[in-house]
Amino acid sequence: MRHQIQKYYPLIPVLAAYLVLFLIGQNVSGTWQLVATLLFYCCLGQAFNIFLGMTGYVDFGYVAFVGVGTYGMALSISRLAQYDLPGPMIIILGFLLAILLSTLLSVAVGAVALRLRGAYFAIATIGVNEGFRYLIEGARIWNGSEGIIFFSQLNEILGSEAASSLSNYWADIITLFIAALAAFITLFYMRSKIGFALTALREDEDAAKVMGINVTKFKILAFITSASFAGLLGASSWALKTPYVFPPEVFEIHYTIEAIIIVLLGGAGTLLGPVFGGLIYGLSKYFLSIIVPGFQLLIFAPVIIIIIVAFPEGVVGVWKSKIKNEHLKKIII
Amino acid sequence: MTLLRLENVTKRFGGILAVNQVSLEIESGQFIGIVGPNGSGKTTLFNVINGVFAPEEGSVFFEDQDITTLPPFKRAPLGIARTFQIPRPFNSATVKENVAVGAMFGTFGKETKVDQAMLEAEKIIDLVGLKQHQEKPAGILTPVEKKMMEIARALAMHPKLLLMDEAMAGMHPGDIDTMVTFLKKVAKEENIAIVAMVEHIMRAVVGMAEKVIVLHQGAKICDAETQEALQDPKVVECYLGHPPEG
Repeated sequence: MRHQIQKYYPLIPVLAAYLVLFLIGQNVSGTWQLVATLLFYCCLGQAFNIFLGMTGYVDFGYVAFVGVGTYGMALSISRLAQYDLPGPMIIILGFLLAILLSTLLSVAVGAVALRLRGAYFAIATIGVNEGFRYLIEGARIWNGSEGIIFFSQLNEILGSEAASSLSNYWADIITLFIAALAAFITLFYMRSKIGFALTALREDEDAAKVMGINVTKFKILAFITSASFAGLLGASSWALKTPYVFPPEVFEIHYTIEAIIIVLLGGAGTLLGPVFGGLIYGLSKYFLSIIVPGFQLLIFAPVIIIIIVAFPEGVVGVWKSKIKNEHLKKIII
Repeated sequence: MTLLRLENVTKRFGGILAVNQVSLEIESGQFIGIVGPNGSGKTTLFNVINGVFAPEEGSVFFEDQDITTLPPFKRAPLGIARTFQIPRPFNSATVKENVAVGAMFGTFGKETKVDQAMLEAEKIIDLVGLKQHQEKPAGILTPVEKKMMEIARALAMHPKLLLMDEAMAGMHPGDIDTMVTFLKKVAKEENIAIVAMVEHIMRAVVGMAEKVIVLHQGAKICDAETQEALQDPKVVECYLGHPPEG
């Protein structure tokens, strides 16, 4: 039993980091918005890491899952508000619908694209995001390009006071829990056969196959898990915070790029990496836009190139390999 | 019982006939050498046996079950393991984790928990003499150590049939003898049939194989006891060319 619990010690630094973030936002006035943004980035990284980090496959259409998750919540609130259901139940149904939609999309994409390897997979997924956006707009699904504005319905089901505290506070707390849950699932996978199978296929897919690993099954599993967390994140950090959704905004490829940067910056396949990646990325983006407004990307791009060239294994990857202390070695992974 | 049976297996790549109408039988626990010059179809034959390629013609039977179209990951749990000519370790994982993967997805994979697999890995790593390296990432091992690790990884799968692709190429003759002795011992204890493919390390073949199958341009030209095969004029011709006239 003790041994089983010890396996989950590496969650301590991750949860500690989230707790510190929460306490700063709670106690230092004026920092909650920043903390919310950082939590969004950490959660995005933590979710994407389950796929990118553990399988080594780069999905350029990842934000599509965040997008359909946002739609899941938006649909639930806008369509169910007219029925006499308790507000919190509609929100929970929204999260469930977000998971359902992102899972369905990931199964559809994964079943086709995950049969491709490496760069071919990456290319195939670029089309998914754009294609899905134009499908929604062109076929006028879910109101097409007019999007869904559900501000009034949100107020209606919860009351305006509760709706505003949900948007400004509780949505971020939910994001924090999603990030923590994603970290837990990452570690759970790492400690089970799933993690071994994923490591094997990431390092050498052919060798993994002849050793009895059904690589397609494990890739799809990681893909679906990662996608459902993205869906949840879209529902909480997007739909609940800004109660409207337009296709060009949620299917914006630069969120995918941000997710990739966060994971690589922190250390792909490490548990603590997305926390570091999310914090470094979020903080530098925030401060650069204050110090040199408008030029932040121009400065940011070369900095990221330098970091990724100098530390290909990411911050946590490098740190991990330098640790000498045996106890520390066991929790920094 | 016949462990593996190939019936008239043919595999083409475009116009190239890589394996041509090969039939063979391997009994459990047998030690067999597959010999043939470069390009004779040895690796392709291995790939047909473990499922990387499906043959165009012919069938493959394992323990009387037709596995001709079974994908590789379904063959491994039946008891087919292999090592590669150029070792293919999972570089970022430790040696112990590499070997544990074998235990987790091999013959007893379904019943093996992660902890059990790790213990099993430790035992096998000790057997092949890599104990001092078990916590290191596999990527930093020397080529010979990587080969040993691959063998450990395959043995951890508890195979009934172990296919070894040029396992001893590049090894010191002394090491080859140690390895042959080790493999013979393990194979006997665990009743593993070993099919070792060699290009020219006859030392290994003579030392271990009960039977030798010689391939030439994709076809089987000889299938006999080791000593007999080495005397076979067709084999001599394929390796050394025509004897001088007169």
